[in-house]
Amino acid sequence: MNLKEARDNFLKGFIKENPLFVTVLGTCPALAITTKVENALGMGLALLFVLVLSNLLVSLVTFRPKIRALVMPVRIPVYIVLIATLVVITEMVMEAFLQPLYVTLGVFIPLIVVNCIIFGRAEAYASDHKPVESMIDGAGMALGFTMSIVIMSIFRELIGAGTLTIWTQGEADVVLDLRFIFDFLGITPIDMFQKPVGAFVTFGLILAVIAAAQNAKAAQAQPAAEVKK
Amino acid sequence: MKKGLTSGIVLLALGVVAGLLLAVVNAITAPIIAANELAAKLEALEQFYPDIQTAYDVEEIILEGDIDSVYVLKDKTTGDPVAAVYSVSSMGYETSVRMLIAVNADGTVHAYSFVTNDGTKGLGLVLSDIDFGMTGADVGDATAFDAHGGATVTSNGVLACFTVVAARYATDLGGN
Repeated sequence: MNLKEARDNFLKGFIKENPLFVTVLGTCPALAITTKVENALGMGLALLFVLVLSNLLVSLVTFRPKIRALVMPVRIPVYIVLIATLVVITEMVMEAFLQPLYVTLGVFIPLIVVNCIIFGRAEAYASDHKPVESMIDGAGMALGFTMSIVIMSIFRELIGAGTLTIWTQGEADVVLDLRFIFDFLGITPIDMFQKPVGAFVTFGLILAVIAAAQNAKAAQAQPAAEVKK
Repeated sequence: MKKGLTSGIVLLALGVVAGLLLAVVNAITAPIIAANELAAKLEALEQFYPDIQTAYDVEEIILEGDIDSVYVLKDKTTGDPVAAVYSVSSMGYETSVRMLIAVNADGTVHAYSFVTNDGTKGLGLVLSDIDFGMTGADVGDATAFDAHGGATVTSNGVLACFTVVAARYATDLGGN
């Protein structure tokens, strides 16, 4: 794999094969925890750790033909053991060192174990590629997912609460209070966007914008193709 | 048969490695998690003793029964118990009344608060704000207890909490 291939492999998770907005995987945590930017960053970090290492481990146990022959008949339980171990480690580390975030994310941390993105990448990519390639793929996909949920959380928190909570786990809290914009406009934040219905509306709006952009692109490409004929 | 055995061995080996890895991580994180949990509990007890985290050594005793945990406050220099806070519950009206009761070494009630008290619909929330007359009284002195009219069952539940603590506090505070 040359540098360009590695770059393409990494970047495909951001736009072309974005797990949330293109392949629509991992929607449960995306809808549930995007009430604050901090939650999205925490979930993104957890997913990054699990996905990079699960891709690496799956690739390691399937890369060499001899080991592959042993693992392939029981690959699904093997993947589950590997992913579950990584998720439990993530859970314990978060509970110890990022306790408030651990409480906020709640059940969605252990539920990473059934996140379709992780299992999907293990089966569709890591089991057929080299360890380094698999790690790059995992990092790209995890960061692409993180970017997506951060976008959703910025939209939801800003419109729904008028703030942007970046990080509150350490001594110094990083919270941008932008309610003065709402005061200036003489309106109040729309609380609905902090609730589950707001998550669906936000997700729907973003998917609609992406679909509109894709349609416009296709419409532009079509006349060009006809002219070529 | 041979294939099935091989698969089993692969899974067993993987399970052993995963188990060992989890044990190592647990050994590192478990004390930190326990310390975090104790700090969170002590923060809740600051309502009774604002300097609890700095002025006292706190020993947590986990129990089974009406009292689920006791926090014994010990003098930092002498190590003598000076007070104890009891997390205690008793049956109220339909559901249980859960309270925190702080008792001084001489057996008098330092303060108390309700953790949950949703047994008496409508009155339940009001009851949490009511003075049952026990602050400063001997924890086992039922005559000092001022029951609330119209919520007899819940009042009895609250009194039962004090009674349970009265039977226990000498064990923790040395019967001073």
